[in-house]
Amino acid sequence: MSSRDKILGKLRSAQKPFTEVAPIEERRHMVPMSPELTQDELLQRFTEEASALSCYVYHLNKNDAFEQIMDLIGDNKSVLSWAQDYIPLDGLHDKLSDAGISIADPKDGNVLVGISGVSSALAATGSLVMSSGAGQYRTTSLLPDRHIAVMTPDQLYVDFETWQQAQQAEGYPAFTKSSNTTLITGPSKTADIAQELIKGAHGPREVHIIVLK
Amino acid sequence: MQVQSNDFIALADIAIHNPDLQQAVGMGTRTAYTKRAKSMFAHGDEHGEALRQQAAEAKRRALRNLPDLLETAETNLTKNGFKVEWAVDATEANNLVLEIAKRHGIKSVTKSKSMLSEELGVNHAMEKAGLRVVETDLGEYIIQLNDEPPSHIVAPVIHKTKPEIRDIFMRELGMEYTDDAGEMVAFARKMLRDDFLNADMGISGGNFIIAETGSLGLVMNEGNGRMCTTVPKVHIALVGIEKVIESVEDYTTLTQVLPRSGTGQNLTVYTNIINGPSREDEVDGPEHVYVIFVDNGRTDVYATNYAEALACIRCGACQNACPVYRSTGGHAYGWVYGGPIGAVLTPLYVGLENAAPLPHASSLCGSCKEVCPVDIDLPRMLLDLRWDLVQEGESKFGWDMGMKMWAVGMTSPARYNFGGVAARAGQFVMGDYMPGVLGNWTKYRDFPEFAPKSFHQLWKERNK
Repeated sequence: MSSRDKILGKLRSAQKPFTEVAPIEERRHMVPMSPELTQDELLQRFTEEASALSCYVYHLNKNDAFEQIMDLIGDNKSVLSWAQDYIPLDGLHDKLSDAGISIADPKDGNVLVGISGVSSALAATGSLVMSSGAGQYRTTSLLPDRHIAVMTPDQLYVDFETWQQAQQAEGYPAFTKSSNTTLITGPSKTADIAQELIKGAHGPREVHIIVLK
Repeated sequence: MQVQSNDFIALADIAIHNPDLQQAVGMGTRTAYTKRAKSMFAHGDEHGEALRQQAAEAKRRALRNLPDLLETAETNLTKNGFKVEWAVDATEANNLVLEIAKRHGIKSVTKSKSMLSEELGVNHAMEKAGLRVVETDLGEYIIQLNDEPPSHIVAPVIHKTKPEIRDIFMRELGMEYTDDAGEMVAFARKMLRDDFLNADMGISGGNFIIAETGSLGLVMNEGNGRMCTTVPKVHIALVGIEKVIESVEDYTTLTQVLPRSGTGQNLTVYTNIINGPSREDEVDGPEHVYVIFVDNGRTDVYATNYAEALACIRCGACQNACPVYRSTGGHAYGWVYGGPIGAVLTPLYVGLENAAPLPHASSLCGSCKEVCPVDIDLPRMLLDLRWDLVQEGESKFGWDMGMKMWAVGMTSPARYNFGGVAARAGQFVMGDYMPGVLGNWTKYRDFPEFAPKSFHQLWKERNK
C-alpha cells in the first residue's frame, strides 16, 4: 500500500472529530471598516496604515512621480523593473533610458532599486498585493534594498477579506493564473535579536509607494 | 531529533540557573504577550474573541473533513503544477528530499523556518548526503551556527541575549565587534545574500495548504522564505497533513490571527500564496515545486481525544503566556516543541513513556487556552495526559500515600478536627518550614500561617 493510501486510510478509519462544532453564522472581517468608504477615504486609510509600517507614501501627479523616482534611483545606473505595461506610469522606461539607466536582469541580486506596479492594495492593513506573471517579476519587490511601487487609487480594496471576495467572484485568478501572489505589508524586518525591530532583513529595507493622482 | 524530554527537571534546573537565558526569555515572552493582547483586541474584546472563535471553527472544520480535504488539495495542487508526495514518517520524508535533490543534481540548499523539518531532522539527513544546507531565518541561522535547535516556535533564538549573539557571529564568521543589532542584521544579510543567489534548491515548511485553490500559504517577516521559494530552481515544501484548510476565506482569517497572536502584527510583512512552479512566460521563480505531506504521528493523534492539538497554527502565543516556559525556555522540554503545546505534542508524537514529566510541566493556570488563536484546550489535554500516565502505571508512593491519608482525614469530622489541631501544633514547632520531602515546597516559599481558630470552632462559639 502506498504511503498516501496508508495515511488517508488511517484518517478515514478514525472517528470524525469535531462533529459538534457549529458553523460560524456571521463571519467577521479582522479590521471592522465600513464597506461604504469613498476612494478618497480608502486612500487616506491606506496611507495612514502603510506610513505607520514605515513605508513612504506619496500622492503625486505624473511629472512629480517621474522626478520622485529619479530621486530615489539616485546615482544607481541600473534598476530592476517590471515591464512598462504593468507600471501605470506611461513612458517611465523611456525616461530611465534617456537618463542612462538600464533595466537589469530580473535575477540580478546586486541591484539596489526595484520598480514595480501592484496588482491591488489593501487599505485596512496598508498592504500591497503582488501577483507574478510575464513582466511582473517576483524579484523586483524582493532583491533590491529599495522597492518603489507605483499604483493608482482605483487599485485599492477595503481589506484582505474584500479582496478575497472579489477574487472569488472572478474564480481566484491570483491563485490559479499566477504562480505567486504575495501581500507585502511594510519593509522586510526582523526582531530575532533581542526583540529589537530592524528593517531590511533580507528583502527591501525601504518601501516607497507612489499613488498617482 | 533526539528526545530528551524525560530529563525535563534537570534541564529546567539548568535553565533556571542561567541568568542570560532568564533575562532573554523573560523579556522576549513578556513583550510578545503584551503585543498579542493589544493586537487581538485592538477592536474590542468582543470582536477579538469572535475572531478567535472564527479561526477555531475554520481549523476544526478542516480537521473534521481532513481525508477529503487532503484529496481535494492534492488534485488542485497538481492542477497548479505542484508535485505532491506523501511520507508516513521522518525516514520516508527525508529519503524523498534526498531523492528529489539527486534527481535535480542539487548541491546547495537554502532553508526557511520549519518546525516540521526539526521533527524530521532533515538538515542532518541532507548534510550526511553531502549537501550544503543553510538556515536563512535570522534566528535559525544563529542557532545553526551555534549548533543548537530552536527554542521557540516563532523566535528560535529567544533564549539568547544580544551580546551572546554578537559573540557567535564573531566566533563563527569573524564579524567585527559591535553592540548594534542593526549592524548584526546587516552582516547576516550580506553573508546570506550569496547563499540565496547560489542555492539550487530551497526548502520551506508550510503554514497552510488551501485545498480550494491548490495553494501553499507561507507567512514570514524577513523575506528569507520568499528568497528560498523564488531564486532556486527547485522548491520543496514540507507540510504536516494537519495544515490543510478548506478555503481562501479561511486563509484570510487564519493568516491574520496568526501574526496578531504571535508578534502582534496585523499581517506578517510577507503573506505568501504559492501556486506552483513558475509559469511558461515567467523568467523567475522555481521550475519544480514539490509538496511533501508528512504524517509522522499525526494520524495516530487524529484518532484520539487529543485531535484538537492538530489545530495548532504555530504562533507561539501559548509559550509566551506560560509561566513554566517563561522560566525554563524551550530547550528544557527536550524535543522540538516547548511550552504548553510542546507538553501536549511531545508525548503524543514521541510516546508518553519518553516524555513523562511534560504533562506535569504546567500549573494549569489556563493562560495558554486563553491566548490560543484557535482556542485549543491545552489544560484539558494536559490533565488527560496525566490521567493516561496513571493508567500506564505512573505512580509515586509518596503521592499515593498522601492522598490516602487525606482521604482518611477528610471522611470523619473527628479525624478532620484532630488533623487541624495537629497541623497548628506542627506549625508552632516547625515555623514556616515543612519537614522531609514536603520541604521541597517550602524551600522557596513560606508556608501560609494557619488561623488561630478553625471555622468549625468559630461557628460553634458564634452559636453558643
